[in-house]
Amino acid sequence: MPVTRIGLACDPQAALDKHNGDNPVASPITVGVIANPASGRDIRRLTTHASVFPTAEKANMVVRLIAGLGALGVDRVLTLRDRTGVAALLLRAIDTHKATGTAERWPEVEFVDLPITDSVADTHTGTAHMVREGVELIAVLGGDGTHRAVAAHCGGVPLLTLSTGTNNAFPDMREATVAGMAGALVASGVVPPDVALTRNKRLVVRCVAGPNRGREEIALVDVCVSRQRFVGARAVSEPSDIESLFLTFAAPDGIGLSSIGGAWAPVERTAPHGLHLTFALHDEDGFAKRDGGPDEIPDGVPIFAPIAPGRIDQVTMRTCERFEPGDWLPIDARRGTLAFDGEREIEIGRDDRYEISLDWSGPLTVDVSRTLRFSASRQLMREMAGASMRALMQAKTHAK
Amino acid sequence: MSNQLSREKLLEAYRLMRTIREFEERLHVEFATGEIPGFVHLYAGEEASAVGTMLHLNDRDYVATTHRGHGHCIAKGVDVHGMMAEIYGRQTGVCKGKGGSMHIADLSKGMLGANGIVGAGGPLVCGAALAAKLKKTGGVGVCFFGDGASNQGTIFESMNLASVWRLPAIFVAENNGYAEATSSTWSVASDNIADRASGFGMPGVIVDGFDFFAVHEALGEAIERARGGGGPTLVEVKLSRYFGHFEGDAQTYRAPGEVQKLRDEKDCLKRFAERVVRAEMLSSDDLVKIDADVKTLIDDSVVKAKAAPLPTEADLLTDVYVSYP
Repeated sequence: MPVTRIGLACDPQAALDKHNGDNPVASPITVGVIANPASGRDIRRLTTHASVFPTAEKANMVVRLIAGLGALGVDRVLTLRDRTGVAALLLRAIDTHKATGTAERWPEVEFVDLPITDSVADTHTGTAHMVREGVELIAVLGGDGTHRAVAAHCGGVPLLTLSTGTNNAFPDMREATVAGMAGALVASGVVPPDVALTRNKRLVVRCVAGPNRGREEIALVDVCVSRQRFVGARAVSEPSDIESLFLTFAAPDGIGLSSIGGAWAPVERTAPHGLHLTFALHDEDGFAKRDGGPDEIPDGVPIFAPIAPGRIDQVTMRTCERFEPGDWLPIDARRGTLAFDGEREIEIGRDDRYEISLDWSGPLTVDVSRTLRFSASRQLMREMAGASMRALMQAKTHAK
Repeated sequence: MSNQLSREKLLEAYRLMRTIREFEERLHVEFATGEIPGFVHLYAGEEASAVGTMLHLNDRDYVATTHRGHGHCIAKGVDVHGMMAEIYGRQTGVCKGKGGSMHIADLSKGMLGANGIVGAGGPLVCGAALAAKLKKTGGVGVCFFGDGASNQGTIFESMNLASVWRLPAIFVAENNGYAEATSSTWSVASDNIADRASGFGMPGVIVDGFDFFAVHEALGEAIERARGGGGPTLVEVKLSRYFGHFEGDAQTYRAPGEVQKLRDEKDCLKRFAERVVRAEMLSSDDLVKIDADVKTLIDDSVVKAKAAPLPTEADLLTDVYVSYP
């Protein structure tokens, strides 16, 4: 748990001392940064109106993030190398920052020396490495899929979430500078974990019979049983493909599959339960199939939902029930695919049996708004600015 | 769109991919005997890209391919006997033995031709797509090109023109990681070839070229979009070739064991077979029978090609110029 890892977490004054350099024995405050170079480029650029998220903007976001982290006391950032340019652009920005002698305090940035596979394995191994290195938190730039990949390996290290993907329900869409400031306040222990951090729900799917027996996957927002037989291009973009849906939360102003639940029965992230929805099969025109002919009343409720950027589609919901934590529910599917946070990942074989459960063991995330409100209520920015000014004056006096 | 594949389509997909693999593996052996004139550039390892695309096309659709074009020709329906004879330079070849490996074309199948000029397919496909648009045939043009050609002006101009005229054109960048011997990480300035699409006002997506189903789904969307008047798309298919740039290439630019690792871990045929059998859509017996049929076909094509006559002196000037009335 981060409470024990952040040594001065519950004492803002002591943490401020550490931040201001009054505690010489303190180890450098280290934050991990994972920016998924592949996010924002999948087939949804074609099937929906999702935009490409350029590498240059991801790198810019990392720069703005570390500016926020550095200004409020983070000493060291660990980040990953990649072959698509995010790391290269970041390196260039760091060189420029050093060359221009800007007064802004940036942390030392270390690129973790791990093999690059250009796959999700890079995120998994990178996260595990950062946890071993003892980072105080991991800032994640990506979509729901990237956050899911980090959450699977981050243990008790909290995440600072930033959206750069496509259908993002889990990460925050906000300015990276501000996120960096909040991240620094949390990493340095100036804002205590019980104020700054939120525990998230997660869905756990486990295979209990068949060749994949023992396999376990998690999702942070949704698990979809898709009628598509193969993983293919991964994204779930067609409403007619959706057989059933399990949700950890369902925001009415969300985008993606969880918006279906949000349109019918919104569930807060903090609510004690999730949702389980099932859907009718659609015909080629997008209407619920009616075996008894066109006069038959369709079996379900038609709902409009923004299942992807620029795509408001109709689904026909048959059932919608609360999904309570702790229960293991068999997934009633003999074929099709299982999608996690919007991406098909498992092809279901005839002998496969899967179960699903909801629990509160999802990652801790930084609540940026609450963190900065706490900071304002304690005038922490004034304290830090004053300390910084005093340090500068002392340095000038010493120089004379 | 629905991407559900029927049993018949899956059988066809496997047969085409297996035919390409067998054709290329056999050419690898036969070329070493010295009987085949010119150069051959083998497509083995990249089968999912050609077949995943071509299953959405028919004879009204036009395709322009590259010097590594055997796979595209087979997937587009060009006769395998005619192709083998063409590569052997025989009269019975699809171009009467005068084109060879790098100039296989069959307009009756919508195959505008393999092409020895890097990046030359773009303008051809723009022309074919413009014709389809003006004649309202509902057809599309598909341009295959590699990571080397992705840096050519012809490709840029073609993507620009296709977007300006909203042509039913699809640009398929088969990024196999090497332009001849130069790694694309050295030669392609953008992070991904697909990223260049936004500069031309078209969508660009990246797809796993080792996965038939991923290619089939992405290209299905792109082709349907083009047919419906939505304009061009750039699809970057990330894949790798099993053989050198050309037969005889020592491949000193590749890491030791790189190809074997690809064959072991990313073989698109193995992946396809495992998944369709597991999904109980095809049986192992289905696949074994196709393997045997294809082997017989390729054996027969080699025997017949070797036995066929070479072009004569009298053939030298035939089919060279077009006489317009």
